[in-house]
Amino acid sequence: MSTAAHPVLDLPFDTPPDPEEFIRAAMEWHFHPDTGSPYWLERATSLDFDPRTDVKSHDDLQLFPNVVNEMRKVPVHALIPKGYGPRPDIVGVYESGGTTGAPKRVVCPRDWMERLVDWSNANLDEHDFPRGVDWLGLTPSGPHIVGEIFRRSAATHGRHGFQVDLDPRWVKKLIADGKADQADAYAEHVIDQAEFILRTQEIGVLTITPALLERLVRREDLVALVNEKVRAIRWGGTQLDPDTHHLYRTEIFPETVLYGHYGSTMIMGIAGQRPGSGDSCVFDTFSPYVTFSVVDPVTRRPVPYGARGQVVMNHVSKALFLPNNLERDLATRVEPVRGRVGDAAADIAPVGRFENEAVIEGVY
Amino acid sequence: MVSSQETDRTDGLIQLDVLGPSGSYRSRSRATVPDVSGRPAAELSLAPTVYVDRAMAALRRARPLSADERVAAIVRAGRLFATETINGLTVGEYEHAVSRVGGVPIQVVRAATRTALERSAQLHHGLQHARPWGAVGDWRDPLTRAGRAVWTRRGEVFAVHAAGNHPGTHTLWPEALALGYRVAVRPSRREPFTPHRLVTALRMAGFGEDQVVLLPTDHAAAEALLRGADLAYGSDEVIRRYADDPAVLPLIPGRSKILLTADTDWRDHLDTVVESIAHHGGTGCVNATAVLVEGDPAPVAEAIAGRLSVLPSLPPEDDKAILPVQSAVSARALERYVRDRAAGARAHLGGDGFVEELGDGSAVLRPVVHQLERADDPRAGAELPFPCVWVAPWSREDGVTPLRDTLILGAYTDDDRLIDAFLDEPTIANVYLGDHPTYWTATGIPHDGYLAHFLMRTKGVIRG
Repeated sequence: MSTAAHPVLDLPFDTPPDPEEFIRAAMEWHFHPDTGSPYWLERATSLDFDPRTDVKSHDDLQLFPNVVNEMRKVPVHALIPKGYGPRPDIVGVYESGGTTGAPKRVVCPRDWMERLVDWSNANLDEHDFPRGVDWLGLTPSGPHIVGEIFRRSAATHGRHGFQVDLDPRWVKKLIADGKADQADAYAEHVIDQAEFILRTQEIGVLTITPALLERLVRREDLVALVNEKVRAIRWGGTQLDPDTHHLYRTEIFPETVLYGHYGSTMIMGIAGQRPGSGDSCVFDTFSPYVTFSVVDPVTRRPVPYGARGQVVMNHVSKALFLPNNLERDLATRVEPVRGRVGDAAADIAPVGRFENEAVIEGVY
Repeated sequence: MVSSQETDRTDGLIQLDVLGPSGSYRSRSRATVPDVSGRPAAELSLAPTVYVDRAMAALRRARPLSADERVAAIVRAGRLFATETINGLTVGEYEHAVSRVGGVPIQVVRAATRTALERSAQLHHGLQHARPWGAVGDWRDPLTRAGRAVWTRRGEVFAVHAAGNHPGTHTLWPEALALGYRVAVRPSRREPFTPHRLVTALRMAGFGEDQVVLLPTDHAAAEALLRGADLAYGSDEVIRRYADDPAVLPLIPGRSKILLTADTDWRDHLDTVVESIAHHGGTGCVNATAVLVEGDPAPVAEAIAGRLSVLPSLPPEDDKAILPVQSAVSARALERYVRDRAAGARAHLGGDGFVEELGDGSAVLRPVVHQLERADDPRAGAELPFPCVWVAPWSREDGVTPLRDTLILGAYTDDDRLIDAFLDEPTIANVYLGDHPTYWTATGIPHDGYLAHFLMRTKGVIRG
């Protein structure tokens, strides 16, 4: 019995594996009785194909059903590949935003989190984020992976990380119940707390959601403070329309780096804004580990480059296998960076309705 | 940046930019404004929320011009509006665009241009009618040395969530500018040309870019106008949501009515009654929605139907057009709605349908006359954007009750007690007695009360 992973699953973040060799090794890992997770080994019995022999390329991921809704109920220990051994090194259990019902969960081994943050830090360098500065995070905290990514980014790329608690589910609930005034008061409370930190600390990087940034910008003294201290803003969580992005870049924060993230707890990660992609933000994934396909929502086939479609997300790593997750967003399909599998996505916007529950955008 | 004097058409479409606190702004996100045939006529730039928030803040920072400068600029703006080429459009091209997009008969648009000119010249004069007679307009008035009321603003920034049914709706809000407010106008997508032209003219005439702005927005950003203003008024979905807020003045349906009592022979007034229904193409809140008749309503309904039935079906830009036009799709939807609403009522005109398609995707909304059996039938208040009238019987026993909730009441009666009752009824805004059409107005006549009563308050001042 061998629980050793194929070395192609353990490459440093900046050594891209051969995509097909990578997929075959990942299938072997996740579906071999010795190394796969209890969840997938059980789930594979109801598949009408054998992942270890039939899945040879990224395109073959489409063979899998979308199992993401099962992540609302699966005990998380069943998601850890047995190959990690009896005492797996886990950094945390993370939950989705709960926008569309009960939250979904994933469990994150240390090797993946470290590889992800290494990749993300390299992106920050490419976008001229200053090293060694203090960070302020106005992002979901609690069980959301974005909070963990914030803390690790701040600690490794920056110096100290300052956070404000933020519960996006409560805001969504308030909005759904028609309590817009309470949602408003909560968001103002978040900005008030950020102000204390911005005023007293040496904040060089601000991580924030578009809705909160819009709110911060209503306070002219805070705009001045951000322009005085903050050298780079990393935004994410919901989308920033091109007009607003342009205003930030040219009028409101003209000297500040703007860099967007598009992610999901269900990919255990983020896609980063392509440098120089202008105001129609193009997002590249950490391929081949995290990949997007922009598809026709009815046929599930990719739309042509430049056309709008719905985003399907895949996560394939030693840590997790979660393919074919139809996300709640529409995007323009864009060609990936050369040599990478999957699509890049631009001009992301939420689908109006999803799985019979109206999507509500709030602070998050 | 687009100068107001250069023709600006991309792909043949009129570009209507946001007119913000530091000039014109063309967004990437633009709404296509179709004409009545569905063909794109213009592109309207949409300001994102962040832009609106900052524009509202800029309005608040700006100081108003002096009262004299404001009045002078409004008079000048009226002349520019009615005569100059603005945003590349001559007066004729502007009127054509309003007519083709809004479906308003061109003569109605031309009349509105003349009215805009007259009203801007008289605006300050008209406003003085709203000032309590004991109040002076400025604390420097020597009367305050003995103690006096001063007429003052209730706020600094005013948001207008404009209607798009008729260009004339834009003759009212410049009063706020005259009173020293900084004003943000959110145009209706149904007809953004008039507010764009008027705001441009006001800026050409001397108002600063941070004193009057045009902020077309999508639904979400519309809230930012309301949030950034001290007072707001208008008729869009945001105003409806906040209609109970005391800082919001909603425009509500006019439900204007005519009462023909037995005191007069209605045949003598048929011209005025018909004009009250169909003037402005029946698109105004001042057009009569119901005619109440003491006695048998059938001959009145028949006579009105006879007059209205001969009105021609023409494209709105035709000089002889009288009736409004919409896209055939929305006209058919309106037809289904009216047919359902009218079920059981006796139709004198238009009962089998009132949509006449013009073949280019547009359709004329032809007049409709229904007879109701009771004065208190709620359908008598069903106001629609074309000549659509409900004729019902009325008796002295019915009294004023069926005449409630009326913007303009045109009453043909000699009964002083009845007239007293109309004047005493708080939900009737204007009472026109005798042979005056419901759309009549003149300098100093309030529309639905004075807008200035919403915008202003009095302050006791004594000095010296």
